[in-house]
Amino acid sequence: MEYVASMLVLVGLYIILASSFNLIIGFGGLISIAHPIFFALGAYTVGVLSVKFGVHPVLSVIAGFFVALVASFALSLPSLRISGDYLLITSIGFQLGLLEIIKNLDFVGGASGLGGIPNVVSGQRNLVFAGVSLGVALIVVLAVRALVRGPYGRAIKAMRDDELAFLALGRNAMNIKIAIFALGSGMAGVAGGLYAYYYQYVTPDQFQILQSAMILTMVVVGGMGSVLGPVVGAVLLLLLPEAITFLNLPSGIMGPLQGVIFTSLVILFLFLRPQGLIAPAKRVEGGH
Amino acid sequence: MKPLRRTLILSAAVIAASFGLGGQVLAQAKEPLRFGLAMPLTGSQALFGADQAKAAQWAVEDINAKGGIDGHKLEMILLDTQADPRLGINAVNRLVNVDKVPVFGTAWSAVVKAVAPIANRSEVLALSVGANSPEIAKLGDYVYTTYPLADVDVVAQARYARETLKKERAAVLYIHNDSGVEGAKIYRDAFEKMGGKVVSYEAYDAQSTDYTGALLKVRTSNADIIHIQGLVSDLPQVIAQLRQLGLKQPISTYSAGYNPKIIAQLGAAAEGLLVSALAPSAEQNPRIAEFVERWKKAENRIPNGLPYTQYLYDMPYLIGELYGHLLKTKQPLTGPNMRKALVEVANFDLPMTGKLTVGADHRVNKPVYLFEVKGGQFVPVATVQ
Repeated sequence: MEYVASMLVLVGLYIILASSFNLIIGFGGLISIAHPIFFALGAYTVGVLSVKFGVHPVLSVIAGFFVALVASFALSLPSLRISGDYLLITSIGFQLGLLEIIKNLDFVGGASGLGGIPNVVSGQRNLVFAGVSLGVALIVVLAVRALVRGPYGRAIKAMRDDELAFLALGRNAMNIKIAIFALGSGMAGVAGGLYAYYYQYVTPDQFQILQSAMILTMVVVGGMGSVLGPVVGAVLLLLLPEAITFLNLPSGIMGPLQGVIFTSLVILFLFLRPQGLIAPAKRVEGGH
Repeated sequence: MKPLRRTLILSAAVIAASFGLGGQVLAQAKEPLRFGLAMPLTGSQALFGADQAKAAQWAVEDINAKGGIDGHKLEMILLDTQADPRLGINAVNRLVNVDKVPVFGTAWSAVVKAVAPIANRSEVLALSVGANSPEIAKLGDYVYTTYPLADVDVVAQARYARETLKKERAAVLYIHNDSGVEGAKIYRDAFEKMGGKVVSYEAYDAQSTDYTGALLKVRTSNADIIHIQGLVSDLPQVIAQLRQLGLKQPISTYSAGYNPKIIAQLGAAAEGLLVSALAPSAEQNPRIAEFVERWKKAENRIPNGLPYTQYLYDMPYLIGELYGHLLKTKQPLTGPNMRKALVEVANFDLPMTGKLTVGADHRVNKPVYLFEVKGGQFVPVATVQ
């Protein structure tokens, strides 16, 4: 039970990450892969506030949200004037650069990571965290759903599908992009904050490109641009590798099998279901 | 097409499930004694992690072949961490909550630090076997190391450079991760405390394969000796590039460099390299020569990171002794008792690495053997107690 609960904590966190990333990439059509850096900023904000200043957990997580949200402007303001491939490259640079800075800052533990984050839940710890992370995940999914189904959502999709026409209607695409980016990044910051409290240790190594690949895979496999897609993707990609460890296979097979699972899933989906497991609702097909 | 695919998926699931059931070990007359091991079996560190896991596996087989512990078989549950803290946490969560082991081993500093809170909260003994970040001694009541931390062999290396070789100016080159940063700091402080001067202090990135930038800075610093704190995986590359850039100064490193593979990969460039070892060599302990032979027979090669595999081979023996102690004193086999047993027994004599004393300060002290590469061989030059 404890183990299941500890897995559910992760599932909740990754649903938050994949859903908020889907808001940026799937609905907004903004090809950035710097999502883990906002996850990291949330985690580090909580780490610093709780270790150095003893701030209340709820306040620290909220601070994590705002730090990630504000930091997103540093990436979005200069780079959203460009889009597509250029944004992709800027986002990689932004993520790696910021991680290098974190690695060289002594007061956040540098390359050694930041330990000693207090344990804020005693007794039934895993269950409490599982409840909190799944609860926040539910709020995030519902918020994304409300956002994309409302009038603002129609504007977002219109911008994604034909930016030129959107601009011709006199709408401001830039503001929408910046807002989506900030909101999605802020949500990742919340996930980071919960992560720091649960694991009590953060290190720059946890937020490298591999993490970007993982969140991206969740969104792609689940279904980009659908509300439930990232949820399914997150659950599947977290639980599948864990399930494999229970098959009691010899380590000679187990290792490589875990290594290829992500790769093979992506390739399979690209061929069999490019729209992901859950196809976005009412997507206009054809006509370009 | 659709139904067919569904059938295929279903049948695959059924087959997988039956594998899982079939793989379960049948109950034995005497309960097996279980422990966990979480190592990188895939990913960038798998080359070393997989060999270390194999060494531990061999030790378990050897112990069981001799009748196990007091008639109980020893059983190891091996999980993959990819040297990634998050996966390490998953693995340890599973070992603690599903497999209910009272003791587990793991390595790589970032993983050890990440799983420490779990060990302390669940009161399960965590043995760090091969990570050398000095912070490991301060991770809590339930985290112990069986491997000497960086302050043991790095200080010995600095002392040898300063006092025996009479070097005045040292350049320190380190990998920019936790073990590199902390190890380099120890070397710098020790060398300066003994009146030397650190003239260059450069980091290189863990992901890079070209170190020219940092190496050129080292070259201009005009040092008498260059000390490298890297990982087993990048050391050969760094040393090769140093030599290609025409740096002729002696190079020293810590136990990660005591590895026959380094000589095989570097050839002539390895000459004069100073390394420390925290385990006796094949010449000093005939069992290690046998161990290397065993690798050659089983895998047709020498192991990657020999000293680490020695420590990993010894780990099941150490855990076996703890179990033996608890069985003898008729105490329940729980995590807190495991920890108590480790503190009570404290002195171990292990097959591959010799005597080991676990201190109350969560550190282990061992003699450091210094070697120099001469004529393609590690030649002992000093032993620092």
